[in-house]
Amino acid sequence: MYRVLYFFRRAVDAMRRTPFVTLVATATIFVAVFLTGLFAGALQSAERLLAVWGGDVQVSVYLEEGADLDQAVAAAGRLAPGAAIEAVTPHEALARLAASLGDERKLLAGVGEAALPASVEVHAPGIGVEQAEQLAARLRAVPGVADVDFGNAWLERLERFLKRLRQVGAALVGALSVAAAVLVANTLRLGVYARRDEIEIMKLVGATNVFVELPFLIEGLLQGLIGAGLATTSLLVLYAALAPRLHAAAPMVAHLTRADVLPLSLLAGLWGGGAALGLVASAVAVRRFLRRMG
Amino acid sequence: MIQLFHVHKQYAGETPALADVSLDIEKGEFVFLTGPSGAGKSTLLKLVLCAEPITSGQLLIFGRNVARIRETSIPVIRRNMGFVFQDFKLLAQRTVLENVGFPLEVRAFSPREVRKRSLAVLEQVGLAGKAAKFPLSLSGGEQQRVAVARALVADPPVLLADEPTGNLDPEMTLEVMDLLAAAHRRGTTVIIATHDRSLLERYRQRVVVLEAGQVVFDGQLGPRTVAR
Repeated sequence: MYRVLYFFRRAVDAMRRTPFVTLVATATIFVAVFLTGLFAGALQSAERLLAVWGGDVQVSVYLEEGADLDQAVAAAGRLAPGAAIEAVTPHEALARLAASLGDERKLLAGVGEAALPASVEVHAPGIGVEQAEQLAARLRAVPGVADVDFGNAWLERLERFLKRLRQVGAALVGALSVAAAVLVANTLRLGVYARRDEIEIMKLVGATNVFVELPFLIEGLLQGLIGAGLATTSLLVLYAALAPRLHAAAPMVAHLTRADVLPLSLLAGLWGGGAALGLVASAVAVRRFLRRMG
Repeated sequence: MIQLFHVHKQYAGETPALADVSLDIEKGEFVFLTGPSGAGKSTLLKLVLCAEPITSGQLLIFGRNVARIRETSIPVIRRNMGFVFQDFKLLAQRTVLENVGFPLEVRAFSPREVRKRSLAVLEQVGLAGKAAKFPLSLSGGEQQRVAVARALVADPPVLLADEPTGNLDPEMTLEVMDLLAAAHRRGTTVIIATHDRSLLERYRQRVVVLEAGQVVFDGQLGPRTVAR
């Protein structure tokens, strides 16, 4: 226990004696973790939004002329258990179209009811895009079906975009982590270099490599914990400051909570990742120096 | 205690720093290594301190062949040695007491024991009153006495000193040399590299003269040899 305290005290002493290097290393970790968190938070939000929007899926089953609407509704009910099924007659379809045209409804003058087909509308709240696609495929078995329109087809494009974003995101986070590790290792090398005399004397009086390394590792760990801790706190502060304005400006994101954007698992991961970054970077820096010393 | 058999040391692209050096230093001896600058005195001390590998030959320290030991054994050898350098090698940001106690911290002594032993050895070198000072606030002679205290604090069987009086005036030189001689009288093997011939004459101990990396004399200097 005394040895642990001894190394801890030496690490804190060293940080106090080289405040500039400590500040630069901590700030580097802060920036790396903050940027990673910002990106990961944006990705989380986008995924959450997609899930919510995907919940409003509506599939329209258009019927051939003369098809039995009641029979189609019954079939749709069997094929989509639990979904809300609505029968839309050609007359209702025309009325809806006219309503949607508003003042331009006169364009429909002379258009007969038979111009629009009867349809069955299937509302399946709470299902994802993939499930909606499967549902649309099943509904092709409705008797008298002419076409099945996956009404929220744009979601497919959004999901494709999100998938690509996730891949690019993973690559970017990976590259960012490597760049941060290199940057932090180089910064910590400054700290090691600033104490080269101490290391040389330690080695000459019989210190083992572990004895020399331990305070540096503790120092890296502390800098990682502090830098990443400040970064996660800043992300929470940023969310608290921006969320009310975003919610007011874009009501569609109003239901995104802190837990959706910055879940605890993400915050814990960022904090732990920052600490690991500091630890690994300082291990690399001090070992390279000791190897060069021989 | 320290034996060299046909030791060669050559740095890349340079003439040999040591060539075919054989020496046997017994326990409790006091040995001066002397010779002109570049003769190989410092290199020899570095080899004994395991700070440099030998190029060829055999070097035995405490009966262990340095060329064959693992890197992890080097700290164990060094813990049996104290060292004093011309440039003191003190840590400017640590107090005199902390500098002296450094070798004991490495040996995992408790803070209480570190303090007790460090103060005792500072008393020996006449610097007990300066324990809380920082090295740069002391004179050159005092700094070197701190370095001697650090070398002696763990009571090592061997003490190495590389030009320990090179930066000191004659009065300080004698103070520091007397401390090293006192350690020798207590049984420590002392090896001092110096080019100060007045010390050889004053202390009348074994002298090893190096020239261009080779031993050209090994023995007690007579009056005529010293004057040469």
